[in-house]
Amino acid sequence: MSRAIYGFIRARTPYLSTMRSYWFGDVEDGQCTPTGGDVLVTADRIRTIRTSMDSFSPLTWETAVACGACSDRADYIEKLRELCFAAAERDIREQYAGKDAELLQMVRTLDEMDTVINLLTERAVEWYQLRHPTFTRKYRRTPAPILVKNIREKTRGALSFVAGEIERLSATRTELAKAVSGRANEVMPNTSALIGGLVAARLMAHAGGLSDLSRMPASAIQVLGARTALFAHLRTKSPSPKHGIIFQHRRVHNAPRECRGKVARVLAGKLAIAARIDQYRGVADPVFLETAQARIDLAGKGNEP
Amino acid sequence: MIWIGDVLVSHGEGGVYSERMLGNARVWDPFRSKLAALYHEGTGVEITADTRVLYLGAANGTTVSHVSDYADVVYAVEFAPRPMQDLLEVARRRKNIVPIMADATRPEQYAPLVETVDLLYQDVAQPDQATIAIRNSAFLRPGGKMILMLKTRSVDVRKEPGVVFEETVEALVSAGFVVQESLWLAPYHQDHAAIVCTKPDG
Repeated sequence: MSRAIYGFIRARTPYLSTMRSYWFGDVEDGQCTPTGGDVLVTADRIRTIRTSMDSFSPLTWETAVACGACSDRADYIEKLRELCFAAAERDIREQYAGKDAELLQMVRTLDEMDTVINLLTERAVEWYQLRHPTFTRKYRRTPAPILVKNIREKTRGALSFVAGEIERLSATRTELAKAVSGRANEVMPNTSALIGGLVAARLMAHAGGLSDLSRMPASAIQVLGARTALFAHLRTKSPSPKHGIIFQHRRVHNAPRECRGKVARVLAGKLAIAARIDQYRGVADPVFLETAQARIDLAGKGNEP
Repeated sequence: MIWIGDVLVSHGEGGVYSERMLGNARVWDPFRSKLAALYHEGTGVEITADTRVLYLGAANGTTVSHVSDYADVVYAVEFAPRPMQDLLEVARRRKNIVPIMADATRPEQYAPLVETVDLLYQDVAQPDQATIAIRNSAFLRPGGKMILMLKTRSVDVRKEPGVVFEETVEALVSAGFVVQESLWLAPYHQDHAAIVCTKPDG
């Protein structure tokens, strides 16, 4: 190829040119165009730089000095740090601004409150039994909240106080559950419509966020929350789990035993689609929901097409 | 590395994570930090005042803070926002840490920011650790050292830790690295191994 033609191509096609983009500016054929200006603008610019890692050679701080971006190495590091802080703070803010970030914390708080309430209730009952040697829970079906109420009313002092605290915790928990459900309906309308806000939110929390859930295959969603059983299955010859968190939904746990796995599988398939619609569209899709509901109902009746 | 008796320490401003102090030296606990465990169990790589480090998987900046006590500059890469908040706080008070919020599996994201380094330290708990190391070694100078912390359980839970370890070493060797040292970090860290290797010249 003649020199003139080569030069012409090089000028026209960016990937043949030797231009390198760095945080402080663009360097091309020994000529540097410094970025300058506001750090946030520079931080946004870095996102747009596409560096090829083939035959890549890292920048040097001397280039930045030659470019006029900084005076010496100490100044180079200081300016770079300023930029990196601005970029990181912006990225953190953006990630936390996602609608699912707060829902995630709400679900985790809810699940932790459940654990705490159960533990405290058990402990209070044991304590109560000491004071009332004839007390037993056998052949009685007193729901835990009533039991706690009775303990509070029938005792005095610290135990009564603890029971009262459990009741208040339960009240907070109920409020929180409502809030989770409401938020889930907003953030993930399609998933919530299929499986209920609370369970939808739990799935999302287990996956680590809505975007993570939307990238999961249906088979993973099906056994989300059945980690112990799944790894026992992978390691040994125990049967694979049929369902994880989605078991909490009535459609799965109310289904006849023999088609529970089937329902779980079909439901998980539709949930995977729903999560993707939620992530990338963010609004309920009535047409999808109708066909999905019908398909899941069909699996629950045991007659699959 | 600086030892007081058989205690590994670093010199710098204390109180980063309520670490123990010996006089004005910060105790670098091998049970908390895999890198400290490597210095206890093996040889590791000497970090000096002119060492430039690329640190992948910086997390909350606990180990980073000790590395920064020794090194010239530490490019600390972390992806998750929560630990990044802590890392930023550590970096605010240590002027030789450059905090980078990016994905270590995609070095092109921070290629416009990072210069050539003498030491590549990787502790990322990802399945394809050898690949990540090889891709990031573009930043490493010829003859530079690489320390890879291998959390074998993150690579594949079904495989035996020993198998994962050997496969990773093989991958590094076939990419041209010269393995200088490879060892398990027990009793400090279970199922964790450290691999120290050198990038060949030229």
